[in-house]
Amino acid sequence: MDRRSFLQTTAFAAGLATLPGLAFSARAADAKILRMGYGSDVLTLDPIKTVYGSDIMIQGLMFARLLQANADRSEVGPGLAEKWDISDDGLVYTFYLRDAKFADGSPITAEDVAFSYTRMRFQKDSAYAAPFQPLKEAKAKDAKTVVMTLDRKFTPFLTLTEIWNTGIVPKAAVEKMGDDAFAKAPVTSGPFKFVDWKPGDRVVLAKNEHYYRQGLPHLDGIEFRYVPDDNTRISMLQAGELDVNIGVPIARLAELKAAGFRADPETSSVTYELLINHSKAPFDNLKFRQAVSHGIDRKAICDTVTLGTGTPANSIFSPALNYFDKSLPVIQRDVAKAKALLAESGVSDASFELMVAAGTSDDEKTAVLIQAQLAEVGITANVAKVDPTSVWTRLIDGDYQSQINWWYNETRDPDNALRWCAWGAGDNKSYYTRYNNDEVNKLIEEGAGEVEGDKRGAIYAKIQQITVDEVAQVALYYPAWLNAYSPKVKDLILNIGLQFSEIDQTDLV
Amino acid sequence: MDRFAFLLKRPVQLIPVIIGISLITFILIQMTPGDPVRIMLGPKASQDAVDFIRARYGLDQPILVQYFYFVLNALRGDFGQSIIYRSPVGRVILDRIEPTLYLILYGLALSVAFTLALATAAARSRGRWLDQVVRLVCVGSVGIPSYFVGLMLILGFCLKFKLFPVSGYSPNFFDNLYHLFLPALTIAISVTPILTRNLRATFIQQMDADYATAGRSKGLSEGYIFSRHVFWNSLLPTVNLMGVVVSFLIGGTVVIENVFNIPGMGQALIRGVLTRDYFVVQAMTLVLAFGIVITNFIVDVVTVLLDPRVKL
Repeated sequence: MDRRSFLQTTAFAAGLATLPGLAFSARAADAKILRMGYGSDVLTLDPIKTVYGSDIMIQGLMFARLLQANADRSEVGPGLAEKWDISDDGLVYTFYLRDAKFADGSPITAEDVAFSYTRMRFQKDSAYAAPFQPLKEAKAKDAKTVVMTLDRKFTPFLTLTEIWNTGIVPKAAVEKMGDDAFAKAPVTSGPFKFVDWKPGDRVVLAKNEHYYRQGLPHLDGIEFRYVPDDNTRISMLQAGELDVNIGVPIARLAELKAAGFRADPETSSVTYELLINHSKAPFDNLKFRQAVSHGIDRKAICDTVTLGTGTPANSIFSPALNYFDKSLPVIQRDVAKAKALLAESGVSDASFELMVAAGTSDDEKTAVLIQAQLAEVGITANVAKVDPTSVWTRLIDGDYQSQINWWYNETRDPDNALRWCAWGAGDNKSYYTRYNNDEVNKLIEEGAGEVEGDKRGAIYAKIQQITVDEVAQVALYYPAWLNAYSPKVKDLILNIGLQFSEIDQTDLV
Repeated sequence: MDRFAFLLKRPVQLIPVIIGISLITFILIQMTPGDPVRIMLGPKASQDAVDFIRARYGLDQPILVQYFYFVLNALRGDFGQSIIYRSPVGRVILDRIEPTLYLILYGLALSVAFTLALATAAARSRGRWLDQVVRLVCVGSVGIPSYFVGLMLILGFCLKFKLFPVSGYSPNFFDNLYHLFLPALTIAISVTPILTRNLRATFIQQMDADYATAGRSKGLSEGYIFSRHVFWNSLLPTVNLMGVVVSFLIGGTVVIENVFNIPGMGQALIRGVLTRDYFVVQAMTLVLAFGIVITNFIVDVVTVLLDPRVKL
């Protein structure tokens, strides 16, 4: 190789490598494809296996349900069922289906609905059968009529018929394909049909031509992309590679708004709290729990972490729930009172481990604030960063003292929420806190069987009061969903149940 | 051809290495607290459902029994199921290997081009301003984290000048020359300074060697000596260093994959570890180990080709 050819080769190689800078790949225009980006990966497309945020959101794009909630989820109206009636004893619900088809063109029959519900309620690996415990059986009476029988009066039942795991699936397709194959390429009943799924990358959906709502959806398709890095998601939105960024870090919200994106906080049903283990010292001591509760400055934590987009919490109830008791005051920090309670408690070793999931900056901030606030009371909180998977294992096993956590509720009905976070008789032991109060358990059952109205409200107000007095959990604040939308996106919001309300009416202009 | 006898020995030496790696990985990931089935089913699942799935994946068996079955299945080419994605591990890996491989090779191609140009320019103008600039740039850029480099490139080339996309990987080879240019450039920016400093130093050392002086005394031109002798005699240390760099990149692309949102191996491996997806971690570790072994093998071959005196 002589000098000239060497230099030529080098120059050629360098030139070739930078050539792509001169190439521009044109993007397919015209088709209205909504591109959404989210920081969690999609794990399954089967409604009954779904538990995580990303999967829950996608369910709403793919499957129709018996009833459909309005935009703010304050009430449910007709969905696949045109009408329904409830027997006088409140135990038998009869649903009358409209003419509708699955994405493959086959009709949606009562048999499919009964199958979907039976599967969700009784199949061993159904992930979230808990709220449907009162459902005894679902049967097709004829091609268009489904009868569901409960074993007790259960007021929340109707609102539950529109949450993510009640999506109606085709019996024939599920039986033919088997669960695992169906979960990867489902035949849908909602506004969009399945096209492709690359795990760890994206789910691609297209308009369902057989969707039961005439003339909808407006969009030709949706790409739901997994983009784990927060900053990358924002860059992609700014560069026009995404139309929706789900989950924006609070610190960057104002910047996106200033740049013309729609980025207003959206109402969520999330309660952010300090979970405490009632079965272990020191939190098995009521006075100690109260000392901690009075030693924490909820407003300071809320302001620091949510930068004004959240509100301090007065109880484990979110304001998004029906029967939320506004009159209950937020506990104000009172160091003297907290010290007195600590002295009363007789706890000799006023220290505990405060577990946070590593890599969650909001939780870490919260933990440091709690640590500093309680130090003034004379309580030592030792912050321990633990990897998220171990956190769950330790919560479930009861191998912890306290942990920063949050939860949300699918519907506005409080029953579902309470069974999740304060029902000692439940599978998850009051969200793993081991809080178990017979009176609260009894009130929860009463509330579920009571008709809507003041009497039901009184029951829930009482539950809120008891759980605050006994410090079931230390509720800290109620955050909002923080998403950013390109100005081209019309009529799209994320509602309290992690569903994109009325996605079938969303448009790109 | 006895120079290449090692080609036959290598695969045999590999077997204990692979067994060792797989056993250690298997035991480590299984001993880490956290249950993949809980992750898959989520916090709302009942204990019944969890037990049912654990039994289905054989996770209720003792670790060594599980390992035994893993090896048995792996020998038949079946690496088991991803617990989290509920699909065959082979499929997960095949989907992921291409973007990472493309990215590493593309990044290396850029690095080699830059390194040859910069090191040659610097060495040929030793001590003059061009040499000083190259050295300064190398020293200055060696410590910049690739996450930061990636972000800056995105801010400049994607958001301000709109020349490149922030993310994207397409099945089309030529599309990716465009889509993966910035991530490859990020790799090049972190790798080039290391290689350039090394190659420049070797060039200079060789230019002062006796044979170069002898060449000059015979009246050969500086350019002829450099391109005919110095250049080829200097490549060996840098090729060896490149082997180390590639091994490092095979595991280290995860940061770049994250910043540019490339669905590659690094991203999947991190996720696998976080969610305790045992079989994915197991198989990916083997693939990565294999990649490093292959890299070393290639370095060996190139070394023998470059230097006839080397015997392995």
